Amino acid sequence: MEFLNFLNQEPFRFLLAFGVVLFLTLNLAAILVMGERKVAGYIQLRYGPNRVGPRGLLQPLADIIKLFTKENISPGKADLWIFLGAPIAMFIPVAAVWLVIPFAPGAVVADINVAILFFVAVTSIGALGVIMAGYGSRSNFSLLGALRGAAQMISYEVPLILSLLGVVMLTGSLSLVDVVNAQGGGFWNWYVVLQFPMFIVFYISALAETKRVPFDLPEGESEIVGGYMIEYSGMTWGLIQAAEFAGMGLMSGISVTLFLGGWQPPLEFLDLGQFNWVWFGIKTALIMFTFQWIRWSLPRLRMDQLMDLGWKVMVPLTLVWLVITAAAMLVF
Amino acid sequence: MLSEERRNETVALDGTASGRLARPDIRSEFGLETMDMNMGPQHPAMHGLLRLILELDGETVMRCDPVMGYLHRSQEKIAENRMYPAVVPMTDRLDYFANIHNEHGYVLAVEDVLDAEIPPRAEYIRVLMSELMRLASHIPSIGFLMLELGAFTPILYAFRERERIQNFLEAITGARMMFHYFRIGGVKADLPPGILEEISEYLDGLEGRFQTDTVDLVTGSEIYVARTKDVGKMTPEQALDMGVTGPPLRGTGVDFDIRRDYPYSVYPELDFDVVTDDAGDVAASYRVRIGEVWQSIRIIRQVIEKMPEGPVMADLGRRLRPREGDGFGRVESPRGEFAVHVVSDGSDSAYRVHYRDPSFCNMQLLQEVVPGHYLPDIMPILGMIDPVSGGWDK
Repeated sequence: MEFLNFLNQEPFRFLLAFGVVLFLTLNLAAILVMGERKVAGYIQLRYGPNRVGPRGLLQPLADIIKLFTKENISPGKADLWIFLGAPIAMFIPVAAVWLVIPFAPGAVVADINVAILFFVAVTSIGALGVIMAGYGSRSNFSLLGALRGAAQMISYEVPLILSLLGVVMLTGSLSLVDVVNAQGGGFWNWYVVLQFPMFIVFYISALAETKRVPFDLPEGESEIVGGYMIEYSGMTWGLIQAAEFAGMGLMSGISVTLFLGGWQPPLEFLDLGQFNWVWFGIKTALIMFTFQWIRWSLPRLRMDQLMDLGWKVMVPLTLVWLVITAAAMLVF
Repeated sequence: MLSEERRNETVALDGTASGRLARPDIRSEFGLETMDMNMGPQHPAMHGLLRLILELDGETVMRCDPVMGYLHRSQEKIAENRMYPAVVPMTDRLDYFANIHNEHGYVLAVEDVLDAEIPPRAEYIRVLMSELMRLASHIPSIGFLMLELGAFTPILYAFRERERIQNFLEAITGARMMFHYFRIGGVKADLPPGILEEISEYLDGLEGRFQTDTVDLVTGSEIYVARTKDVGKMTPEQALDMGVTGPPLRGTGVDFDIRRDYPYSVYPELDFDVVTDDAGDVAASYRVRIGEVWQSIRIIRQVIEKMPEGPVMADLGRRLRPREGDGFGRVESPRGEFAVHVVSDGSDSAYRVHYRDPSFCNMQLLQEVVPGHYLPDIMPILGMIDPVSGGWDK
């Protein structure tokens, strides 16, 4: 295996890791679609997909084959470059943030010292993709969806960033590896204990950032019928969906890393060493399940109510809690 | 902003030209250009083939013109060319979500012009069917509202109940959707043996499930309250001026129910309350619907208890030839007042039949109530009317 040693050197190591992460992201999206349909099925007292493969487990494969064989239709008046660039602009940022998340001790593609800043900066590119999709489609429904999406994603960026600051203050570092290391030694050391209100704000903002119910106004299937993605078909639509679902997985992963101890086991004797990624996986899956649970239980907010919640409730709450955190750090 | 000439244009019948503002007092907030938008007829939340021409200022709706006629089938004209009994199956196609009430309205009108006497057992069976149908229409309509607000699950819980009620209707009539069960002079056939006990058993279970799966799940939701409270607000005067009937009218506080105020069939012998609410918004009309579900269950229990024995069909002869004159039948359908006017010229088919369908008449409130609301509020307001495509287009 010595001839493979070059893979351990820098640009190759990074490229290989990036390839693996991209592969995992795309698969995660497909598995999440499947999981979503199964969860929906059980919440709605039915089975969900159960025809393709054992217990319907090959359903994502069938979905992907279907999407690849479908024709890509673009509206006659569409601005083609922007229209076709939008799904890519939505997907790349989501895949890129996975690079800075530590999955297990030492298992992180890029341990950069400004990982949290990187996460904040790169996820906000996603709003650009939504605007591109809505503007490029030249449709009233798309435009409304894109405007809603832009307003929502930019507004909820503010409480999202503010809710991260408490963790950053406690850790004294912007590196996600440091954040996870600081939470070792049992579940009472996780930041969700000290920063519980911030965790709630982060969770709600994450729902809004990923455009999930009850904040799925950019899609708004009952009034603007899919919003910015209404004109997409085939694999361009598939890529948008992949970006949405991978984004949901990403937000779960980030919230686990920041507030739920990342790969840290809940109790010391459960430490699995290199296999601690199992803990990361379990926690992320649980958070993703709550996302889906909410998706199939709640109705949707209205734009003005959404803005009220963001600016009038969550931003003041995070600011107050930041002051409390700072005061507590001074005292103790 | 629209130019003055454009605003003063009259509404074109096909809706292609931009019509006048229904509420000229509402203007664009910043004096910006408004956006015309067509919603429907192919739209997942339009209750069928309804098209709304909207003028939007951002998310605010400034004008909302409903365009109907995409499902027009000349029901009234067809009714002139068919013999009286042959029109009953056509009425099933009007409001296809609560078709028993259409049949009931039509047979009442023809029996009025025939001066027919109906056997009491037939009358009780008719009331039983009407109230079962009301349950099968009201419970899903609450699910539809939630679907339009973005929650997908309640509709499936609601349809589970409709499905079971349809099983009873199928057992009684032999059909799941287009029943053709009411006949001029009675009903098609007697009840199958044991069905009353089964219905009564089902109602025991329904009471618990409706409370937990619909009332608690839906009305207890914070977001549901935020989305429906003060949306689609009407005053009682407004509602009466627009000819609104049914739950939207009773939601404004007007105490009006055909079953009590213009009694038909055996409703005077039954004990029930007319549910009203004062708020006049979407939430109020849904509270009325929930209350009516409880009242319907109460009525069905009484009907099961009082069900007399005897024939189910009056002997009116083989060919129906009413006297010359007018017949009028009005019933309280789940959506409001369904009325039928039959004009007879003494032959064996009607000279003229007119249906007054609540889906059509209640649709008027869209033009009046929607302007000034946000775009997503159109859906709950439509849910308040709960129109059915076959009803407004006839």
